[in-house]
Amino acid sequence: MAELLRVTKLGKRGILEAVSFSMQEGEMIAVMGPSGSGKSTLLYNVSGMDRADAGESVLAGQNLTGLNEDERAALRLTEMGFVFQQMNMIKNLNLVDNIVLPAVHADRKNKKEHYRRAAMLMEKFGIGDLAERRINEVSGGQLQRACICRSMIMNPKILFADEPTGALNQAAATEVIDAFLEINREGTGILMVTHDGRMASMCERILYILDGEIRGELRLGKFSPEHAKEREKKTTGWLEAMGW
Amino acid sequence: MKKQLLINSIKSERFVAAATCLFMAASAMLLSLSIILFAGLMGSVDRLMETAGTPDFLQMHAGDISAEDISEFAGGRNDVEEMQIAGFLNLQNSDLSLGEKSLSENTQDNGLCTQSDKFDLLLDAEGNVIFPSEGEVYIPVCYREEYKVEIGDTMHIGSESLTIAGFLRDSQMNSMMASSKRFLVSKQDYERLRPHGSEEYLIEFKLREGSDLNAFATAYHEAQLPENGPTITFPLIRMMNALSDGIMILVILLVSAVILFISVLCIRTLIMTQLEKDKREIGIMKAVGISGGGICSMYFSKYLLLSAAGSLIGLGAAMIISGPLGARMRELYGNPGNMAMIITGAILGGAAAEGIILLSVLRTLHRMDRLSAVEALYGRGAFGREKSLLLPVSVITAAAVFIILVPFNMNSTIASPGFATYMGIGESQIRIDIRQNANTKVNVDAVTGTLEKDERVSGFVLMQTSAYGVMLSDGTTYDLMIETGDHGRYPVKYTEGRYPEKENEVALSILNAREMNIKLGDELQIIRNGDGAGAETITCRVCGIYSDITNGGKSAKACFSKSENTGSVMWSIIYLSLKDGYSPGDWVREYKESGFVAGSDRISDGLRITLIEDYLQGTYGQTIRKISSASVICGTLACLILFTVILLMTRLMIWKERGESSLMKALGFTAGDLKKRYVKRNLAAVAIGLFFGIFAGIVPGETLAGLLLGTMGAYGFHFILKPAFIFTVVPLVILITVLAALFISLREVDGIRAYECLGE
Repeated sequence: MAELLRVTKLGKRGILEAVSFSMQEGEMIAVMGPSGSGKSTLLYNVSGMDRADAGESVLAGQNLTGLNEDERAALRLTEMGFVFQQMNMIKNLNLVDNIVLPAVHADRKNKKEHYRRAAMLMEKFGIGDLAERRINEVSGGQLQRACICRSMIMNPKILFADEPTGALNQAAATEVIDAFLEINREGTGILMVTHDGRMASMCERILYILDGEIRGELRLGKFSPEHAKEREKKTTGWLEAMGW
Repeated sequence: MKKQLLINSIKSERFVAAATCLFMAASAMLLSLSIILFAGLMGSVDRLMETAGTPDFLQMHAGDISAEDISEFAGGRNDVEEMQIAGFLNLQNSDLSLGEKSLSENTQDNGLCTQSDKFDLLLDAEGNVIFPSEGEVYIPVCYREEYKVEIGDTMHIGSESLTIAGFLRDSQMNSMMASSKRFLVSKQDYERLRPHGSEEYLIEFKLREGSDLNAFATAYHEAQLPENGPTITFPLIRMMNALSDGIMILVILLVSAVILFISVLCIRTLIMTQLEKDKREIGIMKAVGISGGGICSMYFSKYLLLSAAGSLIGLGAAMIISGPLGARMRELYGNPGNMAMIITGAILGGAAAEGIILLSVLRTLHRMDRLSAVEALYGRGAFGREKSLLLPVSVITAAAVFIILVPFNMNSTIASPGFATYMGIGESQIRIDIRQNANTKVNVDAVTGTLEKDERVSGFVLMQTSAYGVMLSDGTTYDLMIETGDHGRYPVKYTEGRYPEKENEVALSILNAREMNIKLGDELQIIRNGDGAGAETITCRVCGIYSDITNGGKSAKACFSKSENTGSVMWSIIYLSLKDGYSPGDWVREYKESGFVAGSDRISDGLRITLIEDYLQGTYGQTIRKISSASVICGTLACLILFTVILLMTRLMIWKERGESSLMKALGFTAGDLKKRYVKRNLAAVAIGLFFGIFAGIVPGETLAGLLLGTMGAYGFHFILKPAFIFTVVPLVILITVLAALFISLREVDGIRAYECLGE
C-alpha cells in the first residue's frame, strides 16, 4: 500500500517537539493523550490548518509546509475532509447547503452533481430526510453526521477528525463511529484525535502523545466487529500502561 | 445557495442590514444631491447666459455719452465682436409699487429698460426674447415670490401704471447680489416715462473668443471713454449668479463628506463585530478549504447588495429633495437643460460614495486573513485590535455636533451685523447713497449739513469714490476705484494691515491686490487730478488689504484730501450711526418721508437711505435663507444619524456583553441596574464627543467655513458665535437624541436571562 502522509520532525514552539510518523492509504489512526498534550495541535499542523514552526508534512507527495495560506486551503478543499467536536456549520444555511458548500466553492458548474452526491451521503448516514432543515432544527448526532457528509463531499483522500464524539451521547456517538468505519472501509484514510477508548480501539493504530512528543504506538490491525471486545480490552490495558 | 446565504444573513440581522443600508443611502444621497444641485445651477446659469448673450465687458455710466466715440473705439479693435449701448432709466424706489406692495424698502437700484438689439437679451420663462406691447411691463423673476406678484397685476411708477405681462430672466442682474434690477417695457413707454427717472447707460461689449479681458479693460480706460459707474465682466456675473445657491451646495457637500466618514466608520464597526460573532463559522470555512478570497466574497456580496439598494434609495431621495431645494434656482435661471448629464453625474456621485464605502468594507473583510483556520475555530486571537464601541459613539457625536454647528455658525455669522465689515462695509447703522448727477456737490453738502445739525446722529462719515490711474513698478497701468474718506470711523475688517490714515497710504481689496500682484507694504504710483495738465503722480504704500463684495470686489480705500478729487467723484456714500436710545428704523422712515432739503428744494432724486440691516438682507437675504434651510436639513440629518448610531452601537454592546450581563443578573443585578450602566457609559462617551464636536465646529469649522465664504468674496473672517445656542441648545438636542435612542435600544436588556451565562 502506498504512503498517504509523512510527518517529519514537525514542531510548534512550546507544544510539539519534532513529531514524526507516517500513514498508509486507507489507514485509520487514532491519536490519544491527556488534555494539553498537543494532540489537536498535531492534527492542525499536519493538515496545514495551522503553520508549523519546524519540520514538514507531506500529503500524497505535496509538501504542505512549503505552501502559502491559499495553496494550503486549496489542498484542504480537494484532498482533505474535517470533522470537529463543535459541529460548526453556517447558521444561515440549511443542512444540505452546508454540506455542498465546499464542493460548490471548488466547482460551481456541477452544482447538480454536488447536490446528488450530498443526497447520497445523507441517505447513507441516515439523515436523508433532513436536507432542508436549519441547523438548529436537528439533534447533535444528526448534525455531526451532516458534518461527516460535508467532509466527504469532495471525496477526500484523508479525513481529519478532532474529538468527533466528544459532545455526543452514547447512542449518537455509536452512529458517528459507524459512519467513520463505513468511510474507512471505502478507502479513505482517517486521522482522528479522541478521548474515547472504544473509538480508538476500532483504529488500526493508536499513537500516544504526551508533552508534544509521541511516547508510544499500538498496532491493532484492520477492524472486524467480532474482535471488538478483545481490541477494546487490549487498548485499555495499553493505555493504562502508558499512564492514561 | 449563495442567494440563500445572502437572504438568510440579511433576514437574521435585519436591524444591522437596515442600518448599513441607511448609512449607504445617506452617503449616496448627499453626494448625489450636491452634484444634482451644482450641475443644475451651473447648467441653468450657463444656459441662460448663453441664450441671453451676456456681455463680456460692461461699463455703467451716469452722465452724457458720445456713442460715436465708443463705436470708433470698438471699430478700431479686432477683439470686439459686437458692441451696444443700452439705456437704464433709474427710478426712485419710493415711487414704485408692484400690485399693492411698495418698493420703498427695496435696496436694489430698480429701473426700466427696453429690449436690447443684439445681445444681453431679457428672456421669459421659456427662454424666448420678450417684446412687451405698449402699457405692459415684464418684471424681474426674483420679485415674483418676494412681492407675491401675478400676471395681470399693476405696477405703479408715481402716477403712471403698467400691466405686468410676465416675468423676465436677466442673465446679468438675476442674482440678488447684483445691485440693480431691470424692468422691461416697450420703447414708447420708456420714452413716456423718461421724466420719472434719471437715465444711465450700460456700455456693453461682446469680445471674440479668447480675447484678453484685462487688456480690453485697460484699453477702454486709456481711451478715456465714459466710466462713471462700476465695471462688470462676464466672469464676475457668472460668479454672482452661481454664488447665492452655491454656498448652500457647498454646505451640503461638506456635510456629505462628514456623513461618508461616519458611514465608513459605522459600517467598519458593524463588520468587525459581525466577524467576531462569526469567528467560528469563518474558522470552519477556512478549515474545509474555502480560500480567504472565497469567504470574503461571501460576505462582500451582502454589502454589495445593500449598497445597490442604498444607492438606489439615496439617488431617489436626492432626486426628490433636489426638487424643492432647486426650485428657486430654476425659477431664477431656468431649466438646466442637460438633465441626462446631471443624472449621470448624480449616479456617478452616488457610485463614488458607495465605492468608497465598499473599498473600506473590502479592507475590513480582509482582516479575516489575519487569523488561521485554527485560531478562528477556537476563538483565539482577534481580527483586529479590540476597540471599545464607545469610541465610535464619541467620534460620531463629535461629527454630528460638527455638522450642526458649522452651517449654524456660518448662518449666525452672515446674519450678524458685524459680518458686513468682512464684506467691505463699515459697521454703521445707516447708509445714504448719493448718486452722481449735476447736483451732487449741492446734495452732499445739504445732507452732511443736515446730519451735523441732527442731535440724534452720533457720527457719520462721507465716502466718495473716484477713478484713478495706477502705475505699477513694471510699467503696467490699471484703473482703480478709490473710496476716500475717514476709514477709521467705521472700519471694515482688514485681512492684513490696517486702514489708510495718511495721504500716501492706500488699502486694496483682495481681488485688486491679487490682480495687480501686490502685497502689503508694496508701493503704487497713483495719478491724481485726472490725466490733464493738473495731473500729479504720488507714491502710495499699501497699508491694508481687505475683502469686499461691493462693486464687484474691486475697490481701494485712501484718505486723500477732498479738494483733489471733487471733479471726478462717481458716487458718494454716507455711513452714520445714531446715539443710544434712538431707533435707526424710525430715523430712516422719517427722512424717507421728509427728505433732505438743499436750499429751498427737497432732494428727491439720486438719494437712497437704507438701514444697513436691510441692505444686507436685500443683498444676502437669499443666501442666508438658503444656508438657514441647509442648516436645518443638516441638523435634522445629524440627529437622525446620531440616533441610528447610538441605537446600533448600544445593541452591539449589549450583544457583546450578553454573557457578562447574564452573569450580573444571576448575581442579583436588575435590568434597571444594567441599563443605568449602559446609560452612564454612553453619556460619558457622548460628553467627550460633544466637547470635541463643539471645538471642531468652532475652530477648524471656522477655517472650513472661511474657505466657503471666501468663494463669496469674504476673506479672513471669524465666526460670530451664539453661545446660548452652542452651549445650551446643541447639547440639549444631542442629549435628547441620545436618550431616545438609548431608551429604545436598552429594552433588549430586559430579554437577557440570568441562566444564559451557565450555558457558556
